[in-house]
Amino acid sequence: MDKIKIGIPRALHYYYYKDLWKTFLEELGCTIIISPETTNETLERGKKIANDEMCLSLKIYLGHVSYLESRCDYILVPRIDNYGTYEQTCTNFLGLFDIVSNLFTNKLLTYNIDEAHHQTEQNAFIKLGLALGKGKEQSILAYQNSKQKEEKQRKQKRKNEMKKLESNNPKLLIISHPYNLEDPYIGKTIKEILKNLQVEYINGEYLIDHKTIQNSTKLSPNLYWKYNKELIGTIEEWKQKIDGILFLTTFPCGPDSLVNELMIRKIKIPHLNLIIDEESGSAGIETRLESFIDILGQTTK
Amino acid sequence: MKKGYLGIDIGSISTKGVILDENNQILESSYIWTEGNPIEAVKRLLKELQNKTKDITIYGIGTTGSARKLIGLMVDADVVKNEITAHAIGTTQFYKNARTILEIGGQDSKIILLKDGIITDYAMNTLCAAGTGSFLSSQSKRLGVEIEDFGTLALKSKNPVKIAARCTVFAESDLIHKAQVGYQKEDIIAGLCRSVVLNYLNNVGKGKKIEEPIVFQGGVSKNKGVVKYFNEILKTEVIVDPNSHLMGAIGIAIMAHQKQSKTPKNLKILDISFETKGRECEGCSNHCEILRIYKDHKFIESWGSKCGKVS
Amino acid sequence: MGDYAVPAHFLLSHIVRNKIIKPKPITTKTIEIGTKYSPEFVCTPFKYTLGTMIEGIEEGANILIQAGGGCRYGYYAELQEQILKDLGYNVKLYNLVTAGTTDIKRIYKIMKEIDPKFSILKGIYYGSITKKMIQYMDHIDHYIRANIGFEIEKGSFQKLKWQMLKDFENVKTHTKLRRLYKKYKKEFQKIKTNKPNKTIKIGIIGELYTIMEPYSNYELERTLASMNIEIKRYTDVSYLLFQKHKKIKQYLKNTSEYITYQMGADAADNIGRAKELCIEGYDGIIHIKSSFCTPEIGAMPVLTKVCADYQVPIIFFSFDINTSEVGIQTRLEAFYDMLEMRKKNEKRISRN
Repeated sequence: MDKIKIGIPRALHYYYYKDLWKTFLEELGCTIIISPETTNETLERGKKIANDEMCLSLKIYLGHVSYLESRCDYILVPRIDNYGTYEQTCTNFLGLFDIVSNLFTNKLLTYNIDEAHHQTEQNAFIKLGLALGKGKEQSILAYQNSKQKEEKQRKQKRKNEMKKLESNNPKLLIISHPYNLEDPYIGKTIKEILKNLQVEYINGEYLIDHKTIQNSTKLSPNLYWKYNKELIGTIEEWKQKIDGILFLTTFPCGPDSLVNELMIRKIKIPHLNLIIDEESGSAGIETRLESFIDILGQTTK
Repeated sequence: MKKGYLGIDIGSISTKGVILDENNQILESSYIWTEGNPIEAVKRLLKELQNKTKDITIYGIGTTGSARKLIGLMVDADVVKNEITAHAIGTTQFYKNARTILEIGGQDSKIILLKDGIITDYAMNTLCAAGTGSFLSSQSKRLGVEIEDFGTLALKSKNPVKIAARCTVFAESDLIHKAQVGYQKEDIIAGLCRSVVLNYLNNVGKGKKIEEPIVFQGGVSKNKGVVKYFNEILKTEVIVDPNSHLMGAIGIAIMAHQKQSKTPKNLKILDISFETKGRECEGCSNHCEILRIYKDHKFIESWGSKCGKVS
Repeated sequence: MGDYAVPAHFLLSHIVRNKIIKPKPITTKTIEIGTKYSPEFVCTPFKYTLGTMIEGIEEGANILIQAGGGCRYGYYAELQEQILKDLGYNVKLYNLVTAGTTDIKRIYKIMKEIDPKFSILKGIYYGSITKKMIQYMDHIDHYIRANIGFEIEKGSFQKLKWQMLKDFENVKTHTKLRRLYKKYKKEFQKIKTNKPNKTIKIGIIGELYTIMEPYSNYELERTLASMNIEIKRYTDVSYLLFQKHKKIKQYLKNTSEYITYQMGADAADNIGRAKELCIEGYDGIIHIKSSFCTPEIGAMPVLTKVCADYQVPIIFFSFDINTSEVGIQTRLEAFYDMLEMRKKNEKRISRN
């Protein structure tokens, strides 16, 4: 029997769960097809399908889904609502499965995480395994293995990132959802510019640890978006070690529009708020980053 | 004396007028610039039409376009309707089976989908001027080309330049950049025409099923370059009527005809004074801009009050 | 928000001893102030509410109370308080809802902070009257919406409603409130209308703030009424506070061929309503929201599909502070014409 081919859009969730998915699905004997890295064409595809007002990251996501259509048996589109009442996701993540299922005809593979209503990640993955025709035991085992592997990889990434905090170059903490910073279309030029400017940039996402979320309440007690909580928690935790912060977001991200604004008003660290939209030319970004790093260099001396 | 029906389409850039006969065929038409003053423009328009039509008595008047309400009051119109409906009615008079109307005017653009002469869906772009007539004419000035020659020049190009056209500001800076880098003028012009089409299809036309027959109208439909790229991108032939710029006026004239008014109209408005006076109301912190309209020095109506208590 | 300032004021003025400042109706100035101090791409209600708060503070308020949740609305308060602080206003801002849930204990704590003598019994008593008041108001509004377009003497519905709200402000007991409601219900029914048998009926769905605050939707309902259109809308405070938790399950069940999950705020509700309106034979649907309202943006592709399946026209409006009023008018008129043409055509076909 042919292996089941599962398409994974290289966008949004992918940057959080790629390691987990890869181990889990391969252990259950599936072939995975990941859409290629974002290019201008991906965005153009996405724009044709997306609603004008959707955020850039979602437009890119839809572009990736469109690429995978008819290239696989299923496309994996999870629905992640929350990891508890005070750890919710943005409404695009809530609606994603239903948005995709109404815009495309391809068969979808999905799971739902809603811990506030007792839908845990483990349960969700067991159901996912069952949907693929695998047994419960096998699915639990695969999940636990993937979770262990994921944890190991996370720890390694964190270790590498922590080393950067000891660098002698100006240290810049980047507060950005991984699907923005790590997406080539959005983040690549920014990383290159920073490298050329000899800035040590630290990816906030990689610093996240189990206690990071608690730290966030010091900066914003009522915040209830998991991904933003984790990111701003790293500010609180490492503010002594860094010289500046780069807030990187896509237009018009709902949670970031509020959270980043609050951070900018509260923190006393030099910062730059970079908002990327479809028309952002790299020249404009370069100028802004350069002048920001100049200021940073002056204040740290 | 023949019976005639007058339709006036007052847009922000141009003002169009037609007189139709009993069979809804065009007897006379006129096309002039609005020049920011719709009242004066309509007076000029009517003078032109009157000079051409000595033996016609007008039995119905309709107004459409962005100044439809104001001019409707001025000429005492039988029908005042929005331009979407007017365009649909005008077009189906000549193309009974038309399924799609693409319209690009001076300041806005629309798409209208029809089935059996009935509008089934439409969209309109009012926010951004990118890809409309005024954008094209400002760019032609920048490039030192007459807007009338724009289309012909575009047809000469073999390699249209890619231009970012989602927004006028970006399109303009991109255009300057491309010109500085040294691209051929006709390639830039062709690129502009192409970007108008892409921009239109991606914004106004987004998610709309464009089915044949497709009729393309509005001022920009006179631009052969834009027509070419519509054909190329939609992979079909769009129809451009010789009177494509008059469709709104024709549509509203037909609607005026349908009213079956028995009394002839007096077109003496040319001699009547018609004035508007704006003022800011200080009644509350809304500071509504109130527009008061006077005909023959008599106050007839006022617009703009949010609370409805002030006139 | 709309006329709900009346019950809100009623409740607070009875349960705490503080002086209550009623928010002024939203005007151009409110929006100017709100926009000036808001981040660029927050959704529009943020700007409206911030403007209202600053106007309230200038009138002397030093405690502000807000209730909202379900999307980023729930996080407004924290940022707004910071913005007000940065502007030099020393105020306390309370949001009664956190993370989309209402915690009774938390509310009690907040009330105690506002007035240490806050009594829970009084709170429950006046709370229950307020609940009834809101429900009565919403009942009456449903009736008004279906009929105001056909009133013979222009303004008669609005005038009677203002009078009713004024009387509501002064009630003290359930009995008095009920009596008033019955009296006004009769009087509303007495208002003469010339409603034909077959009217054009439109359902309004969308994002809750834009629906409930007439200023933010450019008085959409008033405009539709002036075109003699019968209107149905679902979203009101009664729905959000007392019906939503039950209704949403029903909506999800009824629309299982389109959606599986909730999509944030009222997005899934609106999909359920759209299908309901289609089945009930409404001529068209108008979907309104403020710009950048994420849950509703997500619902839009689904709504388009539902309406295409049932062949009921739908039109989308996204309101920003800069939306051109002329453009709205033109598109609404064209929508009306389209529905009218379809209706005539249906008749023609059924006759043949």
